[in-house]
Amino acid sequence: MKKKSSPLYNVILALVYIFMYAPLLVMVFFSFNESKSTSVFTGFSFKWYVELFSNSDIMEALRNTLVLAVLSSLIATVIGTIAAYGIYRTRNNFVSSSFMTVTNIPMMNPDIVTGVSLMLLFVFVGRLIGANTSLNFFTLLIAHITFNIPYVILNVLPKLRQTDVRLYEAALDLGCTPRQAFFNVMMPAINPGIVSGLLMSFTLSLDDFVISYYTSSGFQTLPIKIFSMTKRIVKPDMYALSSIIFVTILLLLITINILQMKGEAKPAKK
Amino acid sequence: MKRKGTTALLNTPYAVWSTIFIVVPLFIVMYYAFTDNNGAFTLENIKNLGNYTDIFTISILYSLIATLITIIIAYPFAYAMTKKSVSSQKMQMMLIMLPMWMNLLIRTYSWLNILERNGLINNFLGLFGLEPLKMIGTPGAVILGMVYNYLPYMILPIYTVLSKIDPTLLEAAEDLGCSSFQKMIRLIIPMSMPGVVSGIAMVFVPSVSTFYISQKLGDGKVMLIGDVIERQIQMNHYDVGASISLVLMVMILISMAIMNRFSDADGGVVV
Amino acid sequence: MDKNIIDLKNITVAFDGETVLDDLSLSIRDGEFVTLLGSSGCGKTTTLRIIAGFIEPDAGSVFFDGLLVNGIPPYKRPVNTIFQKYALFPNLNVYDNIAFGLRVSKTPEKEIRERVSEMLALVGLKGFEKKNIAYLSGGQQQRVAIARAVINRPKVLLLDEPLAALDAKLRKDMQNELKKIQRELGITFIFVTHDQEEALSMSDTVVVMNEGKIQQVGTPIDIYNEPQNAFVADFIGESNIVDGVMLEDFKVKLGGRIFECLDRGFDKNEPVDVVIRPEDVDIVPLENGMIAGTITSVTFRGVHFEFIIDVCGFKWMIQTTDYHEVGENVGLYIEPDAIHIMKKSKYSGMFGDYSSFSDEMDNISNPDFEEGQSADKEVDPS
Repeated sequence: MKKKSSPLYNVILALVYIFMYAPLLVMVFFSFNESKSTSVFTGFSFKWYVELFSNSDIMEALRNTLVLAVLSSLIATVIGTIAAYGIYRTRNNFVSSSFMTVTNIPMMNPDIVTGVSLMLLFVFVGRLIGANTSLNFFTLLIAHITFNIPYVILNVLPKLRQTDVRLYEAALDLGCTPRQAFFNVMMPAINPGIVSGLLMSFTLSLDDFVISYYTSSGFQTLPIKIFSMTKRIVKPDMYALSSIIFVTILLLLITINILQMKGEAKPAKK
Repeated sequence: MKRKGTTALLNTPYAVWSTIFIVVPLFIVMYYAFTDNNGAFTLENIKNLGNYTDIFTISILYSLIATLITIIIAYPFAYAMTKKSVSSQKMQMMLIMLPMWMNLLIRTYSWLNILERNGLINNFLGLFGLEPLKMIGTPGAVILGMVYNYLPYMILPIYTVLSKIDPTLLEAAEDLGCSSFQKMIRLIIPMSMPGVVSGIAMVFVPSVSTFYISQKLGDGKVMLIGDVIERQIQMNHYDVGASISLVLMVMILISMAIMNRFSDADGGVVV
Repeated sequence: MDKNIIDLKNITVAFDGETVLDDLSLSIRDGEFVTLLGSSGCGKTTTLRIIAGFIEPDAGSVFFDGLLVNGIPPYKRPVNTIFQKYALFPNLNVYDNIAFGLRVSKTPEKEIRERVSEMLALVGLKGFEKKNIAYLSGGQQQRVAIARAVINRPKVLLLDEPLAALDAKLRKDMQNELKKIQRELGITFIFVTHDQEEALSMSDTVVVMNEGKIQQVGTPIDIYNEPQNAFVADFIGESNIVDGVMLEDFKVKLGGRIFECLDRGFDKNEPVDVVIRPEDVDIVPLENGMIAGTITSVTFRGVHFEFIIDVCGFKWMIQTTDYHEVGENVGLYIEPDAIHIMKKSKYSGMFGDYSSFSDEMDNISNPDFEEGQSADKEVDPS
């Protein structure tokens, strides 16, 4: 099919991209500003980057964020994959639809409600057991796992459903026990779903501010650190941080794209 | 028999986890909403919600306006995208995802130095000797913040649905005498509705519950539901915070249920 | 060859309250090529899955070599299945797919190598070891599926409509090939299909099924020449099925005339169904005919012409190589050995009249119309 590309389409695309990217690029631009101003460019300098890397608070927040994201996404992927397989095998409609409803709750609820409800749970339990502080790293970890699991399930379950049941039956037919059949045949088939679930939870966890804001105290993640930094007047070191995040994500996306293209050129090459 | 045992075993961890950390917290919210500080049952918190009617109205109104604007921008954009070559579409997907992956806080304050009193726009106006405009602290800035932050969440589901429309259907429509305009009205728009519906859900929900956008771009002068919850929780007024959260949640669940009627079961969440 | 390898005894299966297999019993001899034939929903695939162990019957017993195997899971049964659409593992290449069963049973790699290459030779895929499954044609995938199942040396090979996805030409080739493989290996094949030609040309024994029940078991020739009821007569090939009355042994009355036939053993004046195959009737000049009719349509079919002939309101299908005009009044001549008598059954009167066949427009406007072969409980007439 021939695609006639009218100039109007290009105009629409260009305008929206300008809208989406202008503020971010302005920020990158001013991160190299010599002076403290974020609107008047006085000269080129790396000094805000230097300042940023010497800010041990920010570096610690970065480390915290990564630790939290790795742990929570791994745990959520294990629990979520097992859960997805369980739901997939559940023949009882009531049971599986209850599971799906519960799974949808954290996705449909506004983050603030999820955050507040978990915080209230931790506070409530904290009061019951008489702890003086009820929020800590573990409550934050639990919160992140909780909001990540649904995304793992929603990535794995469709893959399970797409997988031909006959593959599983063929494995049984060829002598596999149900356990062997799962690991030999089902796992490879649903692996892309597991990996994308893992990646999605990892990024969600890196990115989350609202839920972390309510469920942690003391343990600072990068978004929480950014929040407290932007409470005051923003200095260009914030811009430097944002620019680094921008470039990191850009590189990450490009890598993923290249990997995908390679994967499509040689499908399922092992 | 044996099969059922295995299934139950697989279901147990998540059943326990989701009960404790998804279902129970909702009941705790209800508990706080219906009890006073001493844990005694009260309807006081619910009665007091009347004080926040204006804030609820404004939050819903602004979010609806923002959602509408995102549809107006996202639909033509997604449509234009599908007209490009496959490789260009992939590139563009990446360009749309990138701002999504940037933190909400960064995306929001990136607008600050553009809209500020001595920000880029006012500096530019100053070159022509024009009076600086007051933009931060206005409803317009808050709505802009919502549109900017959540636009990709509208584009993606619409694009996904549009790009899945079978071209032979459109050819069939042409064959049956549809003009381009009729094709749009009779086929493309109705078929893309599930995408629009899930886009609405993905834009409206975070908009109506935001507090950071209104704090930064509204400069504290525009109060939304999220701001009220945040302040009440900050002041340890858990009962008030919980009751407002409860209303927000119920409101969203009801609107979701209504919207689900418009989209088929599978059209739920795209992306 | 005479020993039974599989015995199904009084198998009953219901899904969600709907009976799929109704008290079915069937014995399969060792080394046979058996075909379960029927339209979709007749229970043939369910029967196969019960033998494979994917479904446990609600009632009844399954015996292998005389041993009860109810409750034994599929991976412990000495059968292998070739699945509809093959179910090849997409993450494994040709070699690893074929080696799968041997790897699971921890066979030494050296032996695996030998047996896989033996199999590749058998199915004609030498040199394809490292190929990705996704790059194979339908026929090649089919061969891999055969090799993957047969390499495990099953006592019984189950084939679930394995040729349905292939085009007509390839299907013919694979039919021959499957038959050849079966002869070489000497193992029992249980083959499921809805294609009657496939069933007739490949099988030692054909099992015709409908509505969860076996309608007839027999050799392809028996099934064709001696159908037991109107369903079988109609399902296998084309048939004119006429009401008749058995006056005495070797004498049947139909259409007001008495015909000689070769059947006996019916009660005096017993109402029966009479089957006459379209190719067994000759069109002769009116005065030489046993019964008279008017040609209402002619279709050229290549090897023969197909006529629809109105005999007192009942439409006969006749196949012959001589051409006649529409509207011609002709006589029909039927040899005694062309007449086959069946007992009345619940299918009597449902099939065998071609009156709807000639007027396709009527069928389209008639919502109750069902084509003969799909006359199945799945079709909801309302």
